[in-house]
Formats: sequence, C-alpha cells, structure tokens
Amino acid sequence: MVTTPTLPTDSTPLRLAFTPGEPAGIGPDLAVLLAAKPREYELVSVASRALLESRADLLGIALSLREFDPTALPQADDAGVLCVMDTALGTPVTCGEPHIDNASYVLNCLDQAVDACVNGSFSGLVTGPVQKSIINDAGIAFSGHTEYIAERTQSSPVMMLAAGDFRVALATTHLPLSKVASAITQRSLLQTCRILYRDLQDRFGITSPRILVCGLNPHAGEGGHLGDEEIGVITPVLDQLRAEELSFTGPLPADTLFTPRHLEHADAVLAMYHDQGLPVLKYAGFGTAVNVTLGLPLIRTSVDHGTALDLAGSGKIETGSLRAAINMALELAHVEATRPAR
Amino acid sequence: MSTTKPVIGMVQGDPAGIGSELMVKLLADDEVRQRADIVVIGAPSVFKRGEDITGHTIERQHTSAFDAGRVCDAALQHIDLAIDGIADVPLSQVSAAGGQSSLNGLKLAFELSKKKRIDGICFMPLNKESMHLGGNPYMDEIGFARDYFGIDTAASEFNIAKGMWNGRVTSHVAMKDVPAMLSEERICQSIELADSTLRMAGYERPRIVVAAYNPHAGEGGIMGREEIDIIRPAVQRMQERQVHVSGPFPADTLWLKVRDGEYDVVVTMYHDQGQIAIKLLGFDQGVSLLAGLPVPVTTPAHGTAFDIAGENKANITPARNAFMMCCDLSEGLAEKGGWYDASRAADNKKLPE
Repeated sequence: MVTTPTLPTDSTPLRLAFTPGEPAGIGPDLAVLLAAKPREYELVSVASRALLESRADLLGIALSLREFDPTALPQADDAGVLCVMDTALGTPVTCGEPHIDNASYVLNCLDQAVDACVNGSFSGLVTGPVQKSIINDAGIAFSGHTEYIAERTQSSPVMMLAAGDFRVALATTHLPLSKVASAITQRSLLQTCRILYRDLQDRFGITSPRILVCGLNPHAGEGGHLGDEEIGVITPVLDQLRAEELSFTGPLPADTLFTPRHLEHADAVLAMYHDQGLPVLKYAGFGTAVNVTLGLPLIRTSVDHGTALDLAGSGKIETGSLRAAINMALELAHVEATRPAR
Repeated sequence: MSTTKPVIGMVQGDPAGIGSELMVKLLADDEVRQRADIVVIGAPSVFKRGEDITGHTIERQHTSAFDAGRVCDAALQHIDLAIDGIADVPLSQVSAAGGQSSLNGLKLAFELSKKKRIDGICFMPLNKESMHLGGNPYMDEIGFARDYFGIDTAASEFNIAKGMWNGRVTSHVAMKDVPAMLSEERICQSIELADSTLRMAGYERPRIVVAAYNPHAGEGGIMGREEIDIIRPAVQRMQERQVHVSGPFPADTLWLKVRDGEYDVVVTMYHDQGQIAIKLLGFDQGVSLLAGLPVPVTTPAHGTAFDIAGENKANITPARNAFMMCCDLSEGLAEKGGWYDASRAADNKKLPE
C-alpha cells in the first residue's frame, strides 16, 4: 500500500520551509544531514544561521550556507548547500540543554515559516520536534504545533497520520480518554468530516473520497446496548453527509474496520480517539507514518519523533522520518500546484 | 472410550451463521478427530444443514445427556438439542430459537463439565442479538457462564492469536462508562487472571504487560490521571506479589513489543484497545478463551458471519485453532489438579495493604 511520492516533473522545483524546532535537540542535525545530499526541491531551513553552521562543524560536515531569497525562483540544491532563512537565537545553544531564552526563538521561526506559507512564498511547511515543556517553562502556553499553527491562522485543524495510501484522521486528539465521549458532538464531528473530505480532494487529489468512520464504542455500540453515541451523534452526522451523496461508511466497529477486507476500499479512516486510530499505523507495518495537519490554509507535515536531546550533535540519528514528511509535503504541494482553481 | 484423550464438548452455536458448516468441516478433519473424543451438542437439523453446505457426511452416535461423555463408548457422540422452530430458522437471520439453542447448548455443556463427563468446551460462533431474543439477560456469554457457575471472582474473555494473548479489564461496556469501572482492585484481578490462565496454558512465568488507558499513557497526568492514580499502583502491587508484570505503557508502542515476543500477554483497559490490534496482527487466526471458569471454554474469535453463511467459504482456521487449544488446555487436567481454581483467585484478592 506504500507508494513512492510523485515528484513534480515541471522545471521549477517546489519550495518547502523546514523549522528544525528545539535548537538543543536533533532538529538542526536533521537540517545539516539533509543538506549533505542533493535535492530535487528547495528546502529552506527557518533557523539561526550561526546555529546550523556550528552544528555542521560539530558533525564534521562541510556546508555552504545560502541565504534565502524570496524574490528568486526556487532552485534544487546540490550536495552541501543549505538554504537558510536566518532567525536570531535568544541565547547560544548547548546540545542537549534546552534554554528558556530560546523558547521565543523557536516560536519566531514557526511564525515566520507559517506566515511565509500563507502568503505563498513556500509551498508547504515541514516541522521538526519542539520541546513543549521548555516553551511552557518560559511562560508561553503551548500545547503543540497543531494547535499553535491553527490559532495563528484562525483555522480548525484535523490531525491525520498517513503511511502510503493508508490514512487515519482523528475526531479527537490529545485529551483524557474519559473526556472523549462528551467532546464528540454532532457539530464538531460534522466539521471534522467536512475538513477531511475537502482536504482529501484538495490536498490529496482524490476526486470522490471514500471514508470509513469508526464507532466510539465496542461493536459500534451494538444497537445502543454498548453506548448510544453512535445512534445519537455519529449516525445522524453521517446520514446528513450521505444525503449529499458523499461516501461516508459507518459507524463501523473499529476492530472489523481495521482489517484488510475493509481498508482496501477506503481512502481514509476517521477514528474517534487517538489510541483507536494511531496504534494501527505503527503496528500494521504500512511504512513510515507522517503526521499531516488538515484544515489549515497551508500544507503542514511533521516528523513523528521527539527532540532526542541526548543525540543532538552526535551524528547518530536517522533522517527517515524527516524524509518521509518532506516527501508527503512535496506530494501534497504537487497536487496543489497542478489542481485547477475552484 | 480412550482415557488418554481429552473429551471435548462441541457446541453448535447460532444456526443461522457459519457455525454449522465450521463444525462439520472440523469433524471431517482426521487430525481433529484423532486429537479428542468429541461430544456434539446441538440440533440434528442444524447439523444436517452443515453437512448439506459442506458436502460431508459425519457418522455420529446419538446419545442422551445422561449417557454422554466419558461413560459412552463412541468416539463421536451427538446429544440432540430439541428447540421449537430451530429447523425453520433461515440462514443469516437473528432468531429467538437460534439464541435459545445457543444458550441451552452452552448450559448443557457446562452441566456435563460439572459432572466431569467432558474436559473442555469448544463452541461455534454465537449471535448476541439472537441470544438476547432467546432470553440471555447478559451482554455476553461470559456473563451467562459466570452466573451459571456462581462465580464472583474475575472471569474474562482472552483473545489469542499467533502466540499473543490479550485479556481485558473491561469488555462490553460503553466507552463513557469505562473510567468508572477501572479500579486498582479490578486491574489486580485481571493481572492475576492473566497470570493464572497462562500458567495453566503452560507458561512457566508469564510475562505480562499492562496497557495505559489514556493517549501517551497520560503524559505525566496532562492527558488523564488513571495511570498515576489506579493503573501504576495496581501493577506495583502485583509486582510485590512476584508477578512478572510491567506497565502501564502507551497502547501503540506496546503492541509492537508483544508482536516481537517481548511479552506473552497484554492486559488492556477496554475492548477495542486489544481487539483492534489482535484482529489486525492475527487476522484469520484468533481464538477466544473464556478464562476464570472451572472448565476451559474456547471459541473462534469471530462472529456468525451472516454475510457468507451457507456459502461454504468460511475460513476454518480460527475454529480449528480454538478446538486444538481447547484440547491442549483440557489435557491431563486430573494430574494438574483441575482447571481454574476459584478459591486460589479468592485468596489472591486478599492483597497486601
């Protein structure tokens, strides 16, 4: 089910922004390691130039840094060239030791990258890992990239994980499981379904998306015997969408839905809560899963790992998750670039 | 009847589903027949339905419940269950008669096990809705079984596929009602049941892992406190009792470790947490075991499959696995001092303060 991303074939390469995230973590290492190889796209690291230079020195990788020029056409970079949109650090960085004086720096990078995506300078944003706790310690409330970007762009995010053609979106994300049942309302679910449907069309280029929807309860409530949210909330929403001839199937028992027989006829699954949908991607062996945020006015994908503070500057890291996130962003950006205007 | 082979009661299950064809297919399998002495419990008309669907004819000796099991000489016995209207139940439809036959069949098997006539029970898929129509007041068969045997200690369904075991703290319960049912006591009981069940299945020191309830295992209390307040204390108490148990761990990474053989059994907090994983990882293999009863009871881990009933294309593997597992668990029980000992479980309820 895993597909190779379709890279754009026209002559102008796509231009993506990368925010390495926490400067004391492995984010800068990822930017450096990626720049060591040639690319068929332009990847602009929105970060401190000094930080990237010193991290490259630490890793023993010779890089030539090029300042981002928004007026120039995007260009595919050769091995050893790193394009940077320079952003000043709050304080010098020690590997493995996040500092609260750099919390604003992390968010500045993100703000710049997001704004530049929205105004069209970039085709998409790939985010590296941030240290949530240090941002909060600095007195800035921050619950995650997704929420932060949504707030800055005044939009409603839907979290999706994608591995090849297997896509799982979530009706609820990071909240206690005991709060999930009351968090799913007809209104919130309808909005999530509409965003998912629209973005599968617009971002993934699927003309008539087929979506399977999980029930909340075991056996999808078994006719109300095991919970009534299917009858009271989920089914009415799906009926409304089906009345518009949109292909929403469900609510289905999650344990039968996540079997090959059902999945092969679907473009995406909508799960009701985090652990109903995401574990499947990890253990089903569908390949590297990429986190994609739907519902934003920009394309945003993310690595699926943390800051790995103990590995920063060590050179002992894998770039697979970042490459998967970049490939996904390129795929979506390509659909965006080739799609006829609505 | 041979004394070395286990005697297995094979219960028909819902007449409208794939149970009748599965049963006949099993009985047409030489390995199955050689593995145990078998007592079929069910309506002859339904058995005939299975024969017609599969094209096999199975010789059986019809016997009464009074003569059945260990006291009968025949290797394959059939106790006729008389249920009004059972012959007229169409394929692929729920019915009170179907539910009644499932319940009566199970009950008869339980009775025979109480009298030591049979060592283990393997039943074909039941239909919960039919059973409900047929008078079952419980959400599932384990409730029915607990009531029959008068058990008030932990009894729970385990699912097994490809050597991975899964027991759960709550089962057929609405998601919003799960948190109120999670208690340190209940989780300790589930861990203990996992430990004793796997020991009886031949694991010397079962490696047990406990799943978290919240996403990211609550991430230090930010996304729920059940891990801190309930689950971790329960795990610690069982560790103090020398049970090989760890957790709570986030459900996503945990199953990877189970798949890779780091643990033998996962104790999950709610139904879908284990079911999604085990069905996906052990697709077309799964067995369910009703654990904590005085007799080993197994069944294939799928339902009645009304959509393909009568088409003779149902996959036999889960039913075959269920039967073989039932035989394994039932073998030599006399020497082992019997199956699950409820009094031991009751002792274990007295946990250290």
